[in-house]
Amino acid sequence: MSNAVVERERELRADEVRRAGEVKRLERRDGWKRRLPILPALLFTIVVTQIPFLFTLFYSLTDWRIDKPEPREFVGFENYGDLPGDKFFRDAAWVSVQMTVMAVLFSLIVGTLLAILLDRKFFGQGFVRTLLITPFLVMPVVAGFMWKSQMFSATFGVLNWIIELFGFEAVEFATKYPLASVVVVLVWQWSPFMMLIVLAGLQGQDSSVLEAARVDGATSFGIFRQITFPQLRPFLELGTLLGAIYLIQVYDHIDVVVGGQPAAKNLPFYIAQRSIGGGNVFGLASAYSIVVVIASIILANIGLRVLSNLLEDDS
Amino acid sequence: MALFTRAPKAEPILGQNRMVAALLGVATWIIGLTFFFPLFWLVLNGFKSELDANSSPKLFFEPTFDRFTEVTEETTGLLSFSEAFGNSFWTVVPSTLLVMLLAVPAAYALAIRPMRKWRDVLFFFISTKFLPIVGAVMPLWIIARDFDLLNTRTILIVLYTAMNLPLAVWMLRSFFAEVPKELIEAAQIDGTSLMGQIRQVILPIVAPGLAATALLCVIFAWNEFFLAVQLNPVEGSTMPVWVASQESGRGNFLAKLSAASVLATLPVVLAGWVAQKRMIRGLAMGAIK
Amino acid sequence: MAEVRYEAASRIYPGSDEAAVKALDLEITDGELLVLVGPSGSGKSTALRMLAGLETVNEGSIYINDVDVTLKPPQDRDIAMVFQNYALYPSMTVGENMGFALKQAKVPKDERRKQVEEAARILDLTPYLDRKPKNLSGGQRQRVAMGRAIVRSPQVFLMDEPLSNLDAKLRVQTRTELADLQARLGTTMVYVTHDQVEAMTMGHRVAVLQDGILQQVDKPRTLYNAPKNRFVAGFIGSPAMNIVDVERTDGALRIGSLDVPLAPDVAAAVAAQSAKDFSVGVRPEHLSFTSDGLAGEVVVVEALGSESFIHVRTLHQSVEELIVVREDGQSTIDRGDQVTMTITGPVHVFDNDGERLGD
Repeated sequence: MSNAVVERERELRADEVRRAGEVKRLERRDGWKRRLPILPALLFTIVVTQIPFLFTLFYSLTDWRIDKPEPREFVGFENYGDLPGDKFFRDAAWVSVQMTVMAVLFSLIVGTLLAILLDRKFFGQGFVRTLLITPFLVMPVVAGFMWKSQMFSATFGVLNWIIELFGFEAVEFATKYPLASVVVVLVWQWSPFMMLIVLAGLQGQDSSVLEAARVDGATSFGIFRQITFPQLRPFLELGTLLGAIYLIQVYDHIDVVVGGQPAAKNLPFYIAQRSIGGGNVFGLASAYSIVVVIASIILANIGLRVLSNLLEDDS
Repeated sequence: MALFTRAPKAEPILGQNRMVAALLGVATWIIGLTFFFPLFWLVLNGFKSELDANSSPKLFFEPTFDRFTEVTEETTGLLSFSEAFGNSFWTVVPSTLLVMLLAVPAAYALAIRPMRKWRDVLFFFISTKFLPIVGAVMPLWIIARDFDLLNTRTILIVLYTAMNLPLAVWMLRSFFAEVPKELIEAAQIDGTSLMGQIRQVILPIVAPGLAATALLCVIFAWNEFFLAVQLNPVEGSTMPVWVASQESGRGNFLAKLSAASVLATLPVVLAGWVAQKRMIRGLAMGAIK
Repeated sequence: MAEVRYEAASRIYPGSDEAAVKALDLEITDGELLVLVGPSGSGKSTALRMLAGLETVNEGSIYINDVDVTLKPPQDRDIAMVFQNYALYPSMTVGENMGFALKQAKVPKDERRKQVEEAARILDLTPYLDRKPKNLSGGQRQRVAMGRAIVRSPQVFLMDEPLSNLDAKLRVQTRTELADLQARLGTTMVYVTHDQVEAMTMGHRVAVLQDGILQQVDKPRTLYNAPKNRFVAGFIGSPAMNIVDVERTDGALRIGSLDVPLAPDVAAAVAAQSAKDFSVGVRPEHLSFTSDGLAGEVVVVEALGSESFIHVRTLHQSVEELIVVREDGQSTIDRGDQVTMTITGPVHVFDNDGERLGD
């Protein structure tokens, strides 16, 4: 091979290497350009949420009590060790599970039914829809107060007034059925939210598919079960996710409706009680909070990545 | 193309024949009214005298505005109505604006030119809502005190923004993902800068989604009680705290509390009523993806 | 107006072993209308998008007017593109859509309006300038997309299946208008389509792609008369060329009982091959019904009026084959008729690997 050819080959190879380097540099710069816009939101969130989180983590490892005059001592995982033996924690955890599951489930069901009823043309459709979304817009403390004193109350509650009309004895719902009472208020408030999400899903349906089903002789119920419901699934999943996130943290309702009765005391309420609510054992309460976080992350991971398609990329 | 044609209005699942349809219409009305009833009762009670309110349920009575004037003019609780309202307004509005300002670019980064780990980032945002606020309130209180932010609006603005940001990022991301990729490519070929693409092409399309998200942020921030009462017991108090403070130890307060509740919830209720159609359209556009 | 050159350009998607476009070498001369055609997945759209700057070029380079644009972003290439779905900005009027790129280039308002009105005039869009895309028909939207591209007076037009979403009649009409427009403007145009009829009628030259590899690039007539391989032969031409697998027996090729007439150089090439398997192609218009020849039964008659295509079922090498023969439009041949046919025109022979033999 002549020198010129060798030289040419070397040039070509150098060109290739240079090109590969340029492409890599471009891709790296592109990578940064992609990440940059999210940084403000990310940094803000990290600073505002992770710092308190780290503090909580730190406190969870101490035996901090407001009522003890001694300074904080580092006790390692002692607080976490107290958890299994704490009956109240277990009770509160069980209440949390019941309350969240029932509230999410029933508001989904009620919300879906309402959406189906609303997804049609009838006189005053917009007005009825307006009426139906209002409970979601109301403050939890107001909703709680309203149900407690005006619906559930044995003395001047409307529900009992109706019950007495039929000859039955008045029931002080809030004291006799605290968990159920709280769930009722939660469902009343969150059904509209689910209803909106499901309505959005119903409106996105392809009418030609529904028509084909009718031509094939399907009943209304059959159509719902086999065509509409599968299509609604992502919407229902979204409703479940958002609903669960908020409903796990319920506090205001429990306070206002049942005054924190044990039967309706969920984890956030119990933790609050042990810390700022008079228990004053901040170290322990912090440990409990951390446990709740970890459990939530695990559950959410399972839910989101395994069961749901919400995080599927369709690009 | 989905953006131009209105999807054919799907045939309703129920009510194919006229009789059934009419019955269903009536049933829906009844259900709607029943659902709304507690609120109706609340408003009614606001117009009653304490005597009327504290006896067995009455539908007919002599209405009076007295309770409303009582709550707006007196300061039985911690703050006056106008002060608390002002605090709420100047907390919720700046917070929501800040949320949108942070979430829009974030949604762009996660939807239009997704970074490789976008799912993890999204999950991180959502996971920040897993920490029970009740557990973190002590550290927050200490930090707020040390930065001299107790009883200010600032601390609530910051916290409400952090509270709503995950939801906003999640929802906006799915709205942005709805924008056809080709539209953005066309804008690129036409020589638009990044900001230009967002402003002139993307934002007009996702506007209903933005409205829906902003409304949700306003609802959650306005109605937030726990942090407001823990961190701002006096001067920075917001509407929910003001309502709770109307509950006095002496005498009957049912009617007064009802009146206070109505006033406190009215702004958000009105906003929700006005924006509901946009919310549904926003959600339908792409809350799911 | 510009020359475009692909030099060994490849596109490999991350995480994939197969390249979407493999080492494409293609030269497009100034003012040419070059059509990229191929089945789905052939890489034609990808190749176009590489030219647009919307796909990364992993290997090789792309030149516009001898300038290496391989690493340049779309906005710096001075190109205009028409997308399959038109990609019109929904919140802007037709006029604003068309003037958008000029606005980005900071062209003053009066100049912008003049150019937009001129383009609108050429495309008969003047009455629609103030409408929004959602109030336009498909054909009108397509023209707005064209208008948006014309207004910019770019170096190269890129068209990604711009006519696929139009109904058949409109497609035929618009296709001639488009070719006419390109001829008048004289701007280089790279046009992607999966429809080979569109390719043949519009392109000055047509490039056929399959599986990311350029099969052949030639004038339409050359592609039709001398397809370089079996794929091109079967792809170009409607109805498709009849292609049968034939095993050489006694040094000759036969379809059923019919001897295939071979030109001397082809015959020599056939004989010189060590493998015995070949493919033989004959276009429908190069077959006729005669009194003697390959026998078969008519199964389908496509009567188009101007011509008829008769589908005949015959036996070839103990396998049933369907041969399509072109007949005059007034032909009275019917389904079920027994016919015999012979080859009355050129024959295309391909070796075991599908490569053309002879010529």
